[in-house]
Amino acid sequence: MSDNLTSSIDRHSNTDIVQKGLSKRYNAERRFKFYGIAAICASLMFLGVLFISIASNGYGALFQTHILLSVSFDSDILGGEDLKRANYQGVIKNSLLKMFPEVKSRREKKSLYSLVSSGAAFKIRNILIENPDFVGQTMDVWVPADDDTDMLIKGYMKRDVPESERRLNNRQIEWIESLEKEGRVEKKFNLAFFTAGDSREPELAGIWGATCGSFFTMIITLFLSFPIGVASALYLEEFAPKNRWTDIIEVNINNLAAVPSIVFGLLGLAVFLNFFGMPRSAPLVGGLVLTLMTLPTIIIASRAALKSVPPSIREAALGVGASKMQTVIHHVLPLAMPGMLTGTIIGMAQALGETAPLLMIGMVAFIVDIPGGITDPSTVLPVQIFLWADSPERGFLERTSAAIMVLLTFLVLMNALAVMLRKKFEKRW
Amino acid sequence: MSSDQLTSTKKTDSKAYRNGKQGTLVDRNNRSTIGQPTVHDPRMSCRNVNVYYEDKHAIHDVSLDIGKNEVIALIGPSGCGKSTFLRCLNRMNDTIDICRVTGEILLDGNNIYDKNIDVVPLRARVGMVFQKPNPFPKSIYDNVAYGPKIHGLVQTRDETDEIVKKSLLKAGLWDEVKDRLDKPGTGLSGGQQQRLCIARTIAVGPEIILMDEPCSALDPIATARIEELIDELRENYTIAIVTHSMQQASRVSQRTAFFHLGDLIEVGSTNQIFLSPMHQLTEDYITGRFG
Repeated sequence: MSDNLTSSIDRHSNTDIVQKGLSKRYNAERRFKFYGIAAICASLMFLGVLFISIASNGYGALFQTHILLSVSFDSDILGGEDLKRANYQGVIKNSLLKMFPEVKSRREKKSLYSLVSSGAAFKIRNILIENPDFVGQTMDVWVPADDDTDMLIKGYMKRDVPESERRLNNRQIEWIESLEKEGRVEKKFNLAFFTAGDSREPELAGIWGATCGSFFTMIITLFLSFPIGVASALYLEEFAPKNRWTDIIEVNINNLAAVPSIVFGLLGLAVFLNFFGMPRSAPLVGGLVLTLMTLPTIIIASRAALKSVPPSIREAALGVGASKMQTVIHHVLPLAMPGMLTGTIIGMAQALGETAPLLMIGMVAFIVDIPGGITDPSTVLPVQIFLWADSPERGFLERTSAAIMVLLTFLVLMNALAVMLRKKFEKRW
Repeated sequence: MSSDQLTSTKKTDSKAYRNGKQGTLVDRNNRSTIGQPTVHDPRMSCRNVNVYYEDKHAIHDVSLDIGKNEVIALIGPSGCGKSTFLRCLNRMNDTIDICRVTGEILLDGNNIYDKNIDVVPLRARVGMVFQKPNPFPKSIYDNVAYGPKIHGLVQTRDETDEIVKKSLLKAGLWDEVKDRLDKPGTGLSGGQQQRLCIARTIAVGPEIILMDEPCSALDPIATARIEELIDELRENYTIAIVTHSMQQASRVSQRTAFFHLGDLIEVGSTNQIFLSPMHQLTEDYITGRFG
């Protein structure tokens, strides 16, 4: 009887203790959830701030102020029969003077001419070379405005600050305003930004040269690092005996992954440029250096992918008498492929955004031409961003952000590709 | 030397057998094999097989014959080395780096652990079915056709079709899958997957099939189906099966070998082992006192 009583009391108090502890447990759980959500929100917020600031800065670079000039292709001004070397600058100057006949002094003329980009002359040159029979005619042509004019139109340059504190003087602003009234100033889509190479003039500078450079560099990196990385991972994981040597190799690969990338650049400088005498600033060398940098990532990811293939598949293949090689090629490799591809694309994305090692091998040079191959001097997107961010002109600020947008777009595309490839290969059960 | 040892084992055997007849069991501390490890005209014969995992001595001096067209069941508590022993028979243990095998295992008079023996044809002759059904993540057709293809047993599509059909028929799976041969093998039920694995194994045309607890992941109905299949396969193949289920061993096998802690304790006809075991450990195990 008393036994019964005590046990029932015990049970009662046990339930009480559990009840008391419960709220504590649930509170801990709630706190933990809150920390997790807070962490995610914080990172999303930073990401949002980053994207918004880049987009708001870079949006302006998509448009460029153009000025409508009535150009008369007067053969007197052009001078000479050779259209390739004619005086196009004179044509531009002439048409500007026609619009503002009151400008007489040398100094005023100079400031008038500077409203239009120096690239305007190239534009009418191209028009005339395509249509030589325009000589003697007069036609309206939209030519790019100078960086300063562009900044004024886009509102980055205040008109109400003292004259000494802005790059355009009062006369220049008057001219621009009168052009605006005539409807001769317009913001147009900045096609040059996507088709031109680098330039000292922001309104002429484009991203295409760096994009081509990045493309060639990535091609070299991909075609070297993927096969080498996968082959090393396969050998180390599937064939190599487990002994001291393979341990040493494994440790070294892991260490390589942690080596600062600029060290690879120095290595490239010493080995590829100085020892092998490869061309400077070339995507070929850039690709080789980035291959060295990407290899450890790919090897580690590929080995992890191989390790995650269930051993039962290997046993099944060996059990029906497949050789080691057949087991690996027919069964293990296809199953490990999604992981390997993911690792490769992560490595490639890393390489696409890499700047430091490429500075060492001369890809930081100012290169105007669009590279046509892997041995042409060129630069790459992140280095182009670095170069522009370093330039004093206001116009390069928005171009820097726009270039970052282009780079991020490529990165997003690559990641999407990684996801797609993984899905595709995983569909093979 | 090995034959000397064998005779000595035989001596203990006969003594032990007498003990058994008199109704007293062999003491549980006696670790030498009793019963009839040898048969007339064996398919495979193992002599003094020892297996080491690094320093761990997993199998001690096991000598056992596997007769033609018989099903031999290897039973014993977990960790007794029966699976390890089975995997020695087609050198599946080669895949484990730290595993070392001594002694000899003869297949048609050749030691399969000889240096000049190639494991690829060996495994084609001694096929294996694993504990967990492990079809390749490919179609049912490709699963069965894979072995014949890599060994070059088939050249044309017609030959492949025929061997796939024959193997699936033998494995009793044909009627269930004939309309969906191009569907993934992993989409079948557990029992069907295991029969697919058996079909895959017999497609290569082995002489001996090793089965490592083939029914442990299956429900009783699928298990019954596989057991029927084993019985049918016995006509053409020699089968060694590791099992945890004493009922299964008694249903499907003609001979039974009892392993305990790396020793082959007792081996004999299945009836004898289950009805009148001679060793104390065997009796304890089959009566469910441990294991």
